[in-house]
Amino acid sequence: MLVLILVIPAVVALLTLASRRLAPWLTLAGMLIGLGLAIVNALRVAHGGIIHGAYGTLSLDPLGALYLLVVAFVGVTAALYGIGYLTARMAELTEDDPPPRYRQYFPLFNLFLLSIMAVPLASNLAVIWIAIELTTVFSAFLVAYDDGRQALEAAWKYVALTSMGAMIALLGVLILYYGINHQGQPITWQGLQQAAPHLPAAVLLIPFVLWLIGFGAKTGLVPLHTWLPDAHSQAPASVCAVLSGVEVSAALYMLLRIYPALVANPGIVNPEIWYLVAGLITVATSAFLLLQVHDYKRLFAYSTIEHMGIILAACGLGAGGHQLGTVYQLFAHAFTKSFCFYAAGLATLVFGTQKIAAVGGLLGRAPVVGWALLLGAIAIAGAPPFALFISEFEILRTGFAAGQYAATGVLTTLIVLAFVAIVYQAGRIVFGEPVVADGYQPPPLPKTSMVALAIAFVPVLVFGFYLPPPLMSLVHQAALILGGPT
Amino acid sequence: MMPASFDIAYALDGFFAAFFVLFSVGIVVARQMRGALFLFVLHALALTASAIVLAIALDSPHLGWVALITFSTKAIAVPLVLRWAAGRKLHERREVDHVLTITFSLLIAAVLALIAWVTIEPLVQAIPGRPFAAINLPTGLIAIFFGAFTVTVRREAMVQLMGLLVMESGAFFASISIVNDLSVIAEISAAVDVPIAAMVIGLLIRNINRVAGSTRVGHMADLKEHN
Amino acid sequence: MSPTVTHLVVNLIQVAFLLVFAPLLKGVLERLEEIIQGKRGPSVFQPYRDIYKLFGKDEIVSQDSTWVFRFAPIIHFVMPIFVVLLIPALTTMPLFFAFMGDMLSVGFYLSLGGFFIALAALDTGNVYGPVGASRSRMVGFLSEPAAILVYFTLSYVANSTIPYVVTASWAQSWASMLEPAHLLVVIAFFLLILADEGRIPVDSPSGKVEIAMIGHSNYLEYSGTSAALIKWGGALKLMVLMIIFLNVLVTPWGLASTLHWADVLWAIPKVLAKMFIFLVALAVIESSLAKLRLFRIGEYLAAAFVICLFAMGVRLVGIA
Repeated sequence: MLVLILVIPAVVALLTLASRRLAPWLTLAGMLIGLGLAIVNALRVAHGGIIHGAYGTLSLDPLGALYLLVVAFVGVTAALYGIGYLTARMAELTEDDPPPRYRQYFPLFNLFLLSIMAVPLASNLAVIWIAIELTTVFSAFLVAYDDGRQALEAAWKYVALTSMGAMIALLGVLILYYGINHQGQPITWQGLQQAAPHLPAAVLLIPFVLWLIGFGAKTGLVPLHTWLPDAHSQAPASVCAVLSGVEVSAALYMLLRIYPALVANPGIVNPEIWYLVAGLITVATSAFLLLQVHDYKRLFAYSTIEHMGIILAACGLGAGGHQLGTVYQLFAHAFTKSFCFYAAGLATLVFGTQKIAAVGGLLGRAPVVGWALLLGAIAIAGAPPFALFISEFEILRTGFAAGQYAATGVLTTLIVLAFVAIVYQAGRIVFGEPVVADGYQPPPLPKTSMVALAIAFVPVLVFGFYLPPPLMSLVHQAALILGGPT
Repeated sequence: MMPASFDIAYALDGFFAAFFVLFSVGIVVARQMRGALFLFVLHALALTASAIVLAIALDSPHLGWVALITFSTKAIAVPLVLRWAAGRKLHERREVDHVLTITFSLLIAAVLALIAWVTIEPLVQAIPGRPFAAINLPTGLIAIFFGAFTVTVRREAMVQLMGLLVMESGAFFASISIVNDLSVIAEISAAVDVPIAAMVIGLLIRNINRVAGSTRVGHMADLKEHN
Repeated sequence: MSPTVTHLVVNLIQVAFLLVFAPLLKGVLERLEEIIQGKRGPSVFQPYRDIYKLFGKDEIVSQDSTWVFRFAPIIHFVMPIFVVLLIPALTTMPLFFAFMGDMLSVGFYLSLGGFFIALAALDTGNVYGPVGASRSRMVGFLSEPAAILVYFTLSYVANSTIPYVVTASWAQSWASMLEPAHLLVVIAFFLLILADEGRIPVDSPSGKVEIAMIGHSNYLEYSGTSAALIKWGGALKLMVLMIIFLNVLVTPWGLASTLHWADVLWAIPKVLAKMFIFLVALAVIESSLAKLRLFRIGEYLAAAFVICLFAMGVRLVGIA
């Protein structure tokens, strides 16, 4: 069963090479099947714990299942959104613009999703590392979709910085490999957890520091975040949604999963300090950058950096309490951020530019997109009644309950600051007199993209006040894996 | 394992480790692309040599395979990919830009080597029974640092790619001394992964060259906050 | 014979060895380079003829020059002879003067010669002299930190700064020759020899254009006996550096282990054979490189310095 989740995108990637016309729909169909399989497997995990597949090379535990679910969901909406959006974007091109990489888009998109889904599914740590490296490799040309000078610059920064991080993390993986193997455990997350109490502190701490730097580059931790806004300002919105929503958090997922092992080791004192410091620096930097951003796709990119920082800090704060907030934030951020990028992509079609100063009155020009952008901005900033409000509230509550007053206080201030910044910037876009750029004819808004927008909005709203019981149980079990009591 | 022959293996490993570090430094400061590529091949050969020494000294046929895979991917496949990616740029006698002067880069490299050593030292202490770790772990981490440094201070895409590959080789150089039983699947996929990554990045370089007319990525600075 | 007399005799043999064979090595090097470049080249004995001819010539000294100008060639000639008393040229056991000075003093003696030559170049008032003096001082300033680091690394290995002791500690086993620190020091020292001797990547010894010269324009004003001493002294210095490089660092074998005169004389062909191999390598390297631009020399010497630093680091942290 598990192996099908990986086989289907691979097969679809091959099929999309055959037909240019059918490629978008084939991708959508593949992603839908993937989502179905992910839901079925997640239900099995919710009821029966870890499941294995493909002779033990694949396995899925609650945290992995939760992550797999959002990847599959974002995959579906991104595939649906891409159908109309990419065509509308091509209609907008002038004679001078280079032709975009439309033909390569669909095979690469499938492979990209395949490699992201392999991260929660693969058992072996070395294979997981390879999957993460492949996400960069496959998405390089998705970021460079426009094939212009700026798109290639963004793609190069993205590839150079994240590959650099991956290579640093590789040494960490290999040292962990030695440590786990030396204790006679299998090289999996469970094996790591079993081996952790018996390892010398250095064998665990040095790989962790290498991971924090290496995967930190991929996840956009300050000061290695510089690629993230560039890549998001250049990539098509459907790619941004996957990139920001789930790919960036794949590396964060690795950092979260090593946390319980650090806690289990008696030789490592206060491992949460690393998480808190790295997280707070990231949140602080991005909160101030959010205030002075000039491009609304970059706005959401900085917001991604901010959220990665919040999740990391939350993991550190959860040390004394529990990790429910951390897990739920990881989960909720994925679909909220993809929704924001869908709205931003449509706004780009409406205005023909991404500069905040050059646009305004989106509510007047395209009410649906305007409302979507406004709601998305409010949701991502963490206002009720949306899903992220619940998780951020939970994180701060845990922090104060655990007695981490200083760190939680700082985090609260920064979250409020980021909230103000995002809402202020969103207000500049959606309110005011409708601005019409000279000679720009906006294409009709693509229907499939509007449908995708609507679908993506459902979890943003619904999960703010209702979580289905199996999902609830999955979140609780996942929080348990990260080391908190239920 | 006779103690005397172990001493010789240990010394030989150190000998190749010294070359490995030296070639990594060479890539940091090499002026011309062809020179950097040549150093890269030598660098891969030093890695292979160390793997062979370890395979014989630890009597591990597995490491023999590692040496073979390393040789075929890093010393043959990847340089070919790099040649292809550079295209005609490879033969240009143009000097490659540096952000820092070479003298300064070299001094920073020396400091980085020291930092790497201090970082990895507790780990070396923590793992008894892995005699070659004392040489290979610091050397590997030094190469990783130098690779990252290359990516940072060189403005040329080809050399930055070589920096990434140096980092990868560094990680392997470190790991052959401690992990001599990587599972087969991980090994094969790692072997396939490296040339694929190099190929995709190489393709990106060719595209940058086609669109921007140069591979000097350090001079591409259109994307900034205040534009 | 008493030990003291034996030591003195062996010392004299060493000095004679240096004086007699230095011009030959210079001639061999020049001949080899010409052969590599596809030419026949002069006879290997040409330096002897040059020196003999110069001794027979009249000397012209500028009226405006001072004693420094007359004195410098003698210092330049004598310093390598002092040095050879301190280093294991033919024997592995420390000789009479071995503990008079260590490797640092070797460095001091050799740079003292260079210092006086630079002063003399300034002294004449020739246009090119000061240019050469300042350039060779620039190279000197940059290479000396690296040289001192080489000496320190070597002495750290042997726990001594005496060249004989260093030789003995390297020669203990094959394995110690493969140590990373050793390899790195050898490379750094080789780079320094090239810089110090004004060989190719730094300076072109066969260049005839004054404006491009670094060290060689220091000697333009000399004629007659002084010129002969300069030429001979240059050959001595090259040979001394080769002795240090080969006998102390790279191949500490083939030296006489007793003080019997036959043993010592038998060491001469062995040392010469090592030097010949070194000269072939040097000629090949020199012919395959191009001269660096003046401002690139700093980078070249920084590379030597950093390699030394690595060697020292590897030693200090005790990896090998």
